[in-house]
Amino acid sequence: MKYSIKKVVSIMTILSLLFLAACSGDSATEPTDTGTKDPAVPATSTDASTDSESMFIGLVNPPTGFNPINSGDVAAMFIQKFFQDTLLEMDGPLNFVPRLAESFESEDGQHYTVKINKDANWTDGTPVTAADVAFTINTIAHPKSETSQGANISMLDGLEANGKLPEGETELSSVKVVDDKTLELTTTVPVDPNYMKEVFGLNVLTLPKHILGDVPIEELSTHPYMQNPTVSTGAFKFVKYEKDQYVELAANEDYYAGLPETGKLFIKIMLAPNLVGQLQTGELDFNVSKGIGKIAVQDYDTVEGFDNVTTSIEPNIGFQTMFFNNDKFDKEVRQALSMAVDRNLLVDKLLKGHGEVIDGPYTSLSPFLDRSVGELEYNPEKAKKMLEDAGFDFNTPLELVVPIGNKVREQSAPIIAQSLQQIGVQTNITNYDFPTIMSKGKAGEFDLLLIGFTLTLDPDVSNVYATGATYNFMQYSNPAMDELLIQGKQEADVEKRKVIYSDIQEILLDEAPILTLYSDHDFAGINKRVEFGKPVSFGTHHNLQKWAVSGAN
Amino acid sequence: MFQYIIRRIAIAIPVLFGVTIFNFLIINLAPGNPVDMFINPNMSEADINARKEALGLNDPLWEQYASWMGNLLQGDFGYSFSTYEPVLNNIADRIGPTILLMGSALIIAYLIAIPIGILSATKQYSFTDYFATTFSFFGISIPNFFLGLGAIYIFAILLPIFPTGGMNTLGSSGGILDTLRHLILPAFVLGTAIAGSMVRYVRSSMLEVLGQDYLRTARAKGLHEFVVNNKHALRNALIPIITIIGLEIPLLIGGAVITEQIFQWPGLGQLTIQSIGSRDYPTLMALNFLAAITVLFSNLFTDIMYSVVDPRIKYN
Repeated sequence: MKYSIKKVVSIMTILSLLFLAACSGDSATEPTDTGTKDPAVPATSTDASTDSESMFIGLVNPPTGFNPINSGDVAAMFIQKFFQDTLLEMDGPLNFVPRLAESFESEDGQHYTVKINKDANWTDGTPVTAADVAFTINTIAHPKSETSQGANISMLDGLEANGKLPEGETELSSVKVVDDKTLELTTTVPVDPNYMKEVFGLNVLTLPKHILGDVPIEELSTHPYMQNPTVSTGAFKFVKYEKDQYVELAANEDYYAGLPETGKLFIKIMLAPNLVGQLQTGELDFNVSKGIGKIAVQDYDTVEGFDNVTTSIEPNIGFQTMFFNNDKFDKEVRQALSMAVDRNLLVDKLLKGHGEVIDGPYTSLSPFLDRSVGELEYNPEKAKKMLEDAGFDFNTPLELVVPIGNKVREQSAPIIAQSLQQIGVQTNITNYDFPTIMSKGKAGEFDLLLIGFTLTLDPDVSNVYATGATYNFMQYSNPAMDELLIQGKQEADVEKRKVIYSDIQEILLDEAPILTLYSDHDFAGINKRVEFGKPVSFGTHHNLQKWAVSGAN
Repeated sequence: MFQYIIRRIAIAIPVLFGVTIFNFLIINLAPGNPVDMFINPNMSEADINARKEALGLNDPLWEQYASWMGNLLQGDFGYSFSTYEPVLNNIADRIGPTILLMGSALIIAYLIAIPIGILSATKQYSFTDYFATTFSFFGISIPNFFLGLGAIYIFAILLPIFPTGGMNTLGSSGGILDTLRHLILPAFVLGTAIAGSMVRYVRSSMLEVLGQDYLRTARAKGLHEFVVNNKHALRNALIPIITIIGLEIPLLIGGAVITEQIFQWPGLGQLTIQSIGSRDYPTLMALNFLAAITVLFSNLFTDIMYSVVDPRIKYN
């Protein structure tokens, strides 16, 4: 008898454990379902579709969410652009083509007229209007809004020094809705129209005012729309995001630029080695590359050997650097250390030639790159002599701090250390995860720090080099530089800007506040069945409606 | 018995409370903070500050803890700092896949380990024994990532029987069979590893029991060898094994980080790694809380199971 009571109790314990697990599963999934408020968009009609109309692309980093004004990570931004159109697209260096905006013009660099495509509708049938764009700008400018877009509207007139609306105001005076489809924007001072087009036109994603207009600003980032953006403007519609697995998109039949050829698009999330495996099995049409879907360099040859795959190599504007702690090392030491690092070795051996050595923050893609300011030579003998003359302490090892995440960068650290070793400079390499790097960087707890940037094609680099800037971890400060950076930002004439940025490159080369290392090219494997659509340096998301694969696989 | 359970649960509450304080401190001691994760160099200082303010990161630590605890008592785990989704949603989406994967892995492990362990003990020093011991050594010493990548290479690329990863075929309507096909490789990879150490426990515990006098008595009564081994001996040999099983139940929730990543299995292990990487405090706190509860419950469960297997153990 006693025995059976025990048995019952033990079974009940097991069941209660299972029940706990099961009930937490059910109760919590409910809110996501009710989050879909829009009846016009039918829920996932997932018929088993044939391969010929589905495309599969792969990336490594999972997106954190789909908030149009607050996408903290590159992966989310990349994915959003499939279903949320930006005003413009860039299909070549500073060559802008219309997207959601059919025109984006300015006579004087200060007054801009934006005309929204007259056929552009939200997927629920509501027209996309100038009021939507104005609402987006005002939301970004609100002092309490959580956004990653603040810098992209900072040139507009009427904002405080910190880029926000004055307390108590909710509408920016420099944004004027002229009619349903026309918007006028005014900047504080005339700026280079290309700067405006790139920073504003390529980045700002429009919020649907008819859905979010009445949501209090504090509740915006947790609004269900940000997880489940069922009303959008792009060539594809958001269907669902299976966490860490894939994002499913479907063609937007009413897309203003025409019916997309691809019925379904799956953006799959996986580890880098799996990208290679799935390219081989044909489960992937291409990997995204671009820092969020990179294949490891040692696998390039493997991928090139696949019969069903072609490869593409594209230069990009991202670059890797080594920060010097300017508080600890003066100009001569920085110059000497720069001279001692064999950067060609990094490109030739580590990147197998798929990259370029850079002597400043601009890669060969930048129209502002001025090679005439000179180049940084590799000269270990001279470097050694300069260090000796400067009274450098060869006995104390330098702390070389390296973030984990980018494998190539991790592998570059020992090569750099070896270069320095050759002139007698000892280093200790330590690896940390990214949040730790940020806190060490801000606190100046490093001698040398490896870090990479993808800035804009516009040459403004004040976030890195200006005194006290967010990413000026090296504590570099030069009043002449600060002055030039401000001038460059506020100059509307392209030729005059080129002169300013040449000066900047010259100063940077001379003062060596950081050592710019290399820019690695994007390597992508593309299945041969793909007829249109692949990752390119500029305009990957341009003409999404033409993306297509040939018949059954 | 019932009183005993109530008492155990009552003791568990202050323990849980302590665990949350400890976790909160450890998590906040880690360098960096959630806002630092925004590697976007074009983000302005004002935006970063607005975000810190909104997430409550500018408040003193004890206030942050108090508000977290206050919300928890109302059943609210808060919002994730990185995805802005309710933490409970994030966990709920992943707990099913994790329990499915780890549950099947544990079942596979026991199905392999217990028969092999018994066989290897009853036929000590035979070929079977050596074979089983070697197998268990392989299971223990081959790292999961190697076994996982090897399995993908052989069973997904060379012989395309199974998919390389994920939980469902994209674009298909899914279904149980489809999930099962995706489950087999990761579950076997994990199961083999767990079985490796399990075999050794079963074997040694069986060997100990086999030398006991009461088994000779059982044989003397004329019982069949099969009954002696599997009824009389196994029952006592299981007691230490239950301890091991109890210790492994929390694994159900913890997930297998590496295996999940290799097979793109959308489980809690992946969520944990991402949350650590982005310093997503609320999600980490919730995951730790869940783990603490599971450990406490599985300990209780183990103690109860003892008394089922061994009538000499009584709780009063």
